[in-house]
Amino acid sequence: MGNPRDVVIVEGVRTPFAKAGTKLAEVHASELGKVALTELIAKTDLDVNQVDEVIIGNTGTPSDAVNISRVVALNSGVPQNVSAFTVHRNCASALESIASGYERIKSGTADVILAGGTESMSQMPLVFNKGFTDFMMNLQKARTTGAKLSLLSEFKLKFLKPRITLMEGLTDPFVGINMGQTAENIAKDFAISRVRQDEFALRSHQRATAAHEKLAQEMTPVFLPPKYKKVVEEDVGPRAEQTIEALQKLRPFFDKKYGTITAGNSCPITDGAAMMLLMSREKAESLGYEPIASIKSYAFAGCEPSRMGLGPVHSTPVALKRAGLELKDMGLVELNEAFAAQVIGCQEAFASDKYAQEKLGLSKAVGEVSDDILNVNGGAIALGHPVGTTGTRLVLTLMKEMQRRSDVQFGLATLCIGGGQGGSMIIEKEA
Amino acid sequence: MAVEGINVIEREDGVAVLELDLAGEKVNKFSTPVMQHFDEMLEKMMSAKYKGLVVISRKPKIFIAGADINEIKDIVEPADAKQKAAEGQRILSKFEDLPFPVVVAIHGACMGGGCEMALACDYRICTDDKSTRIGLPEVQLGIIPGFGGCVRLPRVVGIQAALDIILAGKAVDSRKAKKIGLVDDVVPQSMLEEAAIKKVLEVAGKGKRKKKFQAKGFVPGLLEGPAKFVVFNQAEKMVKKNTKGHYPAPLKALEAVKKTYGMSNREKALDIEASLFSEVAITDISKNLIHIFFMTESIKKQTGVHDKDVKPKAIKNMGVLGAGTMGGGIAQLGADKGIEVRVKDLNNDALSKAFVAAASIWEKKLKRRRMTKFEFKEKMGRVSGGTDYAGFGRMDLVVEAIVEDMKIKQSVIGETAKHMPEDAIIATNTSSLSVTEMAKGHPKPENFGGMHFFNPVHKMPLVEVIRGEKTSDVTTATIFDLSKKMGKFPVVVKDGPGFLVNRLLLPYLNEAMYLLEEGMSIEEVDKYYLKFGMPMGPFHLIDEVGIDVSVKVAKIFHEAFGERAKPSPLMSKIMETGRLGKKNQKGFYLYDEKGKKLELDQSVYKDLGLSTPTNPYNAELCVNRGIFAMLNEAVRALVDDKIVEKAEEVDLAMIMGTGFPPFKGGLMKYADSIGTRKITDELLRFADDVGPRFKPAESLMKMADGNEKFYDKF
Repeated sequence: MGNPRDVVIVEGVRTPFAKAGTKLAEVHASELGKVALTELIAKTDLDVNQVDEVIIGNTGTPSDAVNISRVVALNSGVPQNVSAFTVHRNCASALESIASGYERIKSGTADVILAGGTESMSQMPLVFNKGFTDFMMNLQKARTTGAKLSLLSEFKLKFLKPRITLMEGLTDPFVGINMGQTAENIAKDFAISRVRQDEFALRSHQRATAAHEKLAQEMTPVFLPPKYKKVVEEDVGPRAEQTIEALQKLRPFFDKKYGTITAGNSCPITDGAAMMLLMSREKAESLGYEPIASIKSYAFAGCEPSRMGLGPVHSTPVALKRAGLELKDMGLVELNEAFAAQVIGCQEAFASDKYAQEKLGLSKAVGEVSDDILNVNGGAIALGHPVGTTGTRLVLTLMKEMQRRSDVQFGLATLCIGGGQGGSMIIEKEA
Repeated sequence: MAVEGINVIEREDGVAVLELDLAGEKVNKFSTPVMQHFDEMLEKMMSAKYKGLVVISRKPKIFIAGADINEIKDIVEPADAKQKAAEGQRILSKFEDLPFPVVVAIHGACMGGGCEMALACDYRICTDDKSTRIGLPEVQLGIIPGFGGCVRLPRVVGIQAALDIILAGKAVDSRKAKKIGLVDDVVPQSMLEEAAIKKVLEVAGKGKRKKKFQAKGFVPGLLEGPAKFVVFNQAEKMVKKNTKGHYPAPLKALEAVKKTYGMSNREKALDIEASLFSEVAITDISKNLIHIFFMTESIKKQTGVHDKDVKPKAIKNMGVLGAGTMGGGIAQLGADKGIEVRVKDLNNDALSKAFVAAASIWEKKLKRRRMTKFEFKEKMGRVSGGTDYAGFGRMDLVVEAIVEDMKIKQSVIGETAKHMPEDAIIATNTSSLSVTEMAKGHPKPENFGGMHFFNPVHKMPLVEVIRGEKTSDVTTATIFDLSKKMGKFPVVVKDGPGFLVNRLLLPYLNEAMYLLEEGMSIEEVDKYYLKFGMPMGPFHLIDEVGIDVSVKVAKIFHEAFGERAKPSPLMSKIMETGRLGKKNQKGFYLYDEKGKKLELDQSVYKDLGLSTPTNPYNAELCVNRGIFAMLNEAVRALVDDKIVEKAEEVDLAMIMGTGFPPFKGGLMKYADSIGTRKITDELLRFADDVGPRFKPAESLMKMADGNEKFYDKF
């Protein structure tokens, strides 16, 4: 059964996710990636000489590891002759890494690919502003002490105001608004009330808490360098004690007056890594692996940058078409929870004939995504959203849950992408 | 005897190149024929019209390995020794006296005589390759540099840098060599010859170079000049502290430097050096150290099995069961040597101990700049771990280091084997259980053997490779080879209680307890053994090993060997006092939190029901009781039970595993120096005076009849 060039997922592993500035704050993104990849290689007893390529998503691009994929690969025991590259599609970087791997395997270019994502949002740096950078450059160029002194007199206090790369990254560079404000736009377009958002957020925590044991199965602990005395074994985010009252008390963060988006119904910025082992069906068979899932199709699509949260509604119909499937065929859906408003907005838009006709050029609605099959083990509001990692995490959580359910054949992993895009991937259960 | 492989090539530009590539030898070395060849060759060159000479080796990673040690080891007469040094000095001085500049191009090891030759030349250029090491290791063999090294090195690099190398018998890499001025330039290997020739052409016609070190800065200037006595005094103190008076060579070398530094008469300076060389070259200490050198060299060539066709398996992925002190140490060492290591333990807290252990060892190197942060990350990256058997499917070998319990070990070994490739090896790090018995837990006992590391793993150089009854040659050879790759000296031993080292150590420790019982003080006994040359006294050692462990092992031995291994009653008594040794900071001595030894725990006598020590015995008696007890057991292990095959294996194991004084050449060498007859007489006397446990082994008594030597028979 199946085509020898089918792309199968043998296994996946992730680190625990921790809100930025907490337990994993001191761990470099390359170290997080290494922990996940090393465990994946061990767990699959993979002969690393079989690997054709390592593809890892990352958005922070640490300046001491610009092609972080190569750094992770070498530190994980992947041989030096195996190539590695890093991909950046903002929030979907780690879906792009799988998609890139898929294309290489499908075309016959590669047989074994390690794909994933890693991100340390704790370690995104502050950078000097242009004024100070120029000042320093000129100071270096100045030859005489006199010239240096006269330059020094031009120093201004405003030079010391840093550029916060994290904030800049979360601001749309085309329309100049923050990601939270794009979610506010959706909340207003679809009249999504604060209470609906808060209830959604609460459910995310409840589901993630209830799925504690299940989520543990996709994780490997991180022993914290440089001393390695402490170990992080579980996600930091999910709160068993979360109440609707507490969520209701929070003040809107982006639009203080009429806004509904709060820190409680948005995902936290997060550190973490996730990796998967992709193979061609024929290679997996020859090495004796029993894959968990196969990739049916994927798609990326663009949308309005100021409503980037609706990206999944744009990319999913394309992916479905490529797979020859319909939304109702999906037994489980993982839709990244950047903001509760944006997820609910997607559900509305998926089900809307009007949206389909006006924005997607389709004759009727894409379909329903019911709460029952959506993010059944919680989502990013509870677990967190390490930007360059989430794409792989969604596919991982999805395939593990599909494995547990006898009545699910197909699943969809999808997410919105800052800058106005959506990414979707459809997988089919193997085992 | 004609010497082949030393050629002089005259180039068109007037530069001559002296190529060294001794025929029939792996390395270039200074034997008597080679030196004679040099002598004649240099004599002819005195009248040659070269612009200059370049000396270069054509061996892959060797410049000159040094003088032929075989020629030194048999010298017994001081006059012969002096003659040997003087002859070498005379010939190497000819390099200095050549009428044109000589540039030495060094790639690979440039040791001892090779270094001394380079120092006699005008300029030195070396490659930046890792194999390039320049040094004077003579004191490690109990001798001093005798071909002019003590005279010339301080003139080239200054007293401080020279003493640093000579007194410790060190070698430096290219970076350090350039920094201290031992070489003039460091170049990539492909440019070495070209750079040397360029140097010759650059300095041709400008006369010979003067060897005079110039210190930079005021204080260094003082220390190299008027205040050099400060440096000499400091050096003397350091040497005395480090050698504890057991090794005379460094002091002689210091004397040579001190007496000859600044002397304008070269021949007189060299004569002083030759005299001092002759004083140490004929000592037993030097002979013993050379003996050890040959033993360690021979290990490098051995495979651990007799069948020459057996090839060890390559180990790329290694598993370690148990993340305790030993497991963590083994994991660190493996990763340090480039092996991918996976540790398994029951939970993450236990597992973290392996990471902590590995990180802390490398962190020390990082702090001392022996390692970069990138190397740290790379090595740390090779250690991973888990609580399941993930990764074991690709393991070539797994070292088991879990709790010392036969049943648990057998069952874990069986379970582990199921998760590993069919032909993979499991090696146990047990120190006290039978390997043959344990092998019953393995579905393929031929793939099972012992790999006994000593604590602390990264420091102790010995590994006992234990052959169980069914252990195959391939398994033995693989463990032997892996031990070498991990930087250790392996010794193959047959299975038996305590294998070799612990079996010999226990009677010695037990004897210390008997001495205590008979009124000796703990400190006196320890002091006597330190003076004998042991790295620490027996009581201190029991503390290090752990009192609980020592007592447990003593019991096992009592069961195995009967009456002669009966533990002193104090063994069980000391356990009852709650003392565990260093690990709970309270043993015979007290220890601080970091494990540093403090003073004696004075309450120990009272707690053991002993009165104030009266110290009834002298040093010789105390030491002989322990050492002869050890020796008596060694005869049984070597001769009767054939735990090892050769006397030198006992010696290597005891030196590397317990720190038995190297200057004595090892336990059996020491025994041979006393004579089997005298030892037997002494043991018989002890058997009468002290107890029947001293009764000499039958085979020892047989040897005593002819006063036979162990090294002649085994």
